[in-house]
Amino acid sequence: MPSESAPAASPHTSPNDIVDFLGTVQLFGGIPPEELDELARVMLAVELPPGDDLWRQGEEVNGLHVIAKGLVQVSARLPGDREVELATLGVGEVLGEIPLIDGGARTATVRAVEPTTALFLSRADFTALVSRLHPTAFTIKRRIAAIACERLRKRYAALAASLGDRPAPVASPDDLPRDLAEDTFASVERPSLEYLRRLSFFRVFDPPQLVEILESGRLAFLPVRHVIVGEGGPAAACYVTLDGAVEEVIRRGESAIRVGLAGPGRAFGYVGLIDGEPAPVTAATRERTLLLAVSRTQFDALFYGSTIGSYAFFEAVQRDLMTALRQADRPQARLATAAS
Amino acid sequence: MCRVLGYLGRPIPLVHLLYETDSSLVRQAYSPRMMAVFLNLAGFGMTAWDPDSVHPDEPFTYKVTTLPLFDRNLRNLAQKISPTCLLAHVRGVTDSEDEVIAQQNLHPFRFHDVKVTLAHNGHLREFARMRYDLVEHVRPEFIRRIEGTTDSEWIYALVLSQLEDPHGMPEAAEIVEATVKALSILRAVRERNEIETSSPLNLFISTGRCLVATRFSFDYGWYPENDTLLETDLPYVSLWYTVGHEYVERAGEWTMVGADRASSLLIASEPLTSDTSSWLEAPEYSLLSASVADGVFKMEVMDLAV
Repeated sequence: MPSESAPAASPHTSPNDIVDFLGTVQLFGGIPPEELDELARVMLAVELPPGDDLWRQGEEVNGLHVIAKGLVQVSARLPGDREVELATLGVGEVLGEIPLIDGGARTATVRAVEPTTALFLSRADFTALVSRLHPTAFTIKRRIAAIACERLRKRYAALAASLGDRPAPVASPDDLPRDLAEDTFASVERPSLEYLRRLSFFRVFDPPQLVEILESGRLAFLPVRHVIVGEGGPAAACYVTLDGAVEEVIRRGESAIRVGLAGPGRAFGYVGLIDGEPAPVTAATRERTLLLAVSRTQFDALFYGSTIGSYAFFEAVQRDLMTALRQADRPQARLATAAS
Repeated sequence: MCRVLGYLGRPIPLVHLLYETDSSLVRQAYSPRMMAVFLNLAGFGMTAWDPDSVHPDEPFTYKVTTLPLFDRNLRNLAQKISPTCLLAHVRGVTDSEDEVIAQQNLHPFRFHDVKVTLAHNGHLREFARMRYDLVEHVRPEFIRRIEGTTDSEWIYALVLSQLEDPHGMPEAAEIVEATVKALSILRAVRERNEIETSSPLNLFISTGRCLVATRFSFDYGWYPENDTLLETDLPYVSLWYTVGHEYVERAGEWTMVGADRASSLLIASEPLTSDTSSWLEAPEYSLLSASVADGVFKMEVMDLAV
């Protein structure tokens, strides 16, 4: 069991040290010193000898940790009483923020590889920090989204590596769908608001906000096996599935791994919009599909906006991102099991 | 929706799987963890194969429309039987006057002179419009044996009819092929009848020597406008599995151990334990196939493109 102690017991011996350290952490970078000072006062240092677990997969979540010293290994359980290593993380890395956002259980076990010190922020303090309508709260939430995008790309890269060293399919810019063709938008009937509000993406919106979101995008109806986003291509829009299903796939040669399935109420295509990088996976319809397409310009206005509707949009994208991260762990575990 | 459990592997006391884990199949009848608005109170059924029993290819069969939790006979039997293969099912039905609670509608289905058994979680929407178009694809002797009112029994008869020798002992590959053919026929019949709403078919099929399971839905993600369940996006028709040497209780926790000597597979609509970390979720559009031949256990997960 880890031992928890006051910040003074950590290698950062004074609150000022902790403030300086937190300023270097990606999650908290750019936050004013007085805010970091408040944060430092509520964080506890946890000391771990090598081999001890910070937490175990499946446990309920009580807060997040920032590695202040040492090295930890992140691993997931597999059937047959085995584990697969997902990552090794060191100083400055943040752990455990995903279940704080989506309310799920711990997704992996974290074990100290070296003598490790982690700074612990409780769920209550984290919630108090990010629930305010305050610039710092939005800065942290957007950082979490950026960190989640980075992790998602790492998971996808690991899955792509499992397919061997064949290159990703090369698509010329002309082959990649920069946006949906104009005729896909023709004569599409919108599902009822009552139906849409039952979908996970739209549950956080009240009816006027939902109408605002729907009007900021366009509906598109696509047949089966229609490529919407090409891996390595530009991120043109964020899409929300209203009816049908879209597969997110990593393809290398003849081999492919499905990393996600976006059914009604799931979004896709936004990772490249958030981090400015090319699309990490290919997205293509598995069923005939009705989509809401939100262009890059509209996405930016909503994701970084300051209206109540845009806050709800941000929350919806963030929750979807956490779901995508959890989904991305599944193929890796299945692959590891199949290889045993 | 229902809950189904399939097992293939080393002999295991049935009581472990039905009663003793903290989310056992019997518990899933009245308290499924992944299905908040739906209970499975319309009956229990199982087929269990024991190679040391008389006529080892004939399973022990038990079906009852009462709640398995209060079934002392079942509990007693579960303590005495250690099968190497099992299909067990708790049936859930909607609160409709059209539902028929009867032993004839309980899964797993098994006609008396065939070796193949089938249980189903899901439903074919608007099945009444499809039923008679299926007749031409089902062998007459199987149509005559359909006793109940469920779509599932028709699916069973349809899968059987696609086997080259439905009265023989098909191998896993033959069952996979017949299942894919049956799904293709169902897709064509749905198209002919312009049925375009989601219809999940999580099938569990076994002969006692192999186990095949699907996680599949026609028209995934297309719901009737008045549908409130949106079931394919919720875990109502999920499918989980865990594989290893044997399923054991260790320090109060049930888990599959011995990955390096895999010889046992559990497949279930939802994990048998509240801690799901040693279970894997089968993806949508997938088929799991496992078999034991000459003491060698084989398992495969493949994409199901129908």
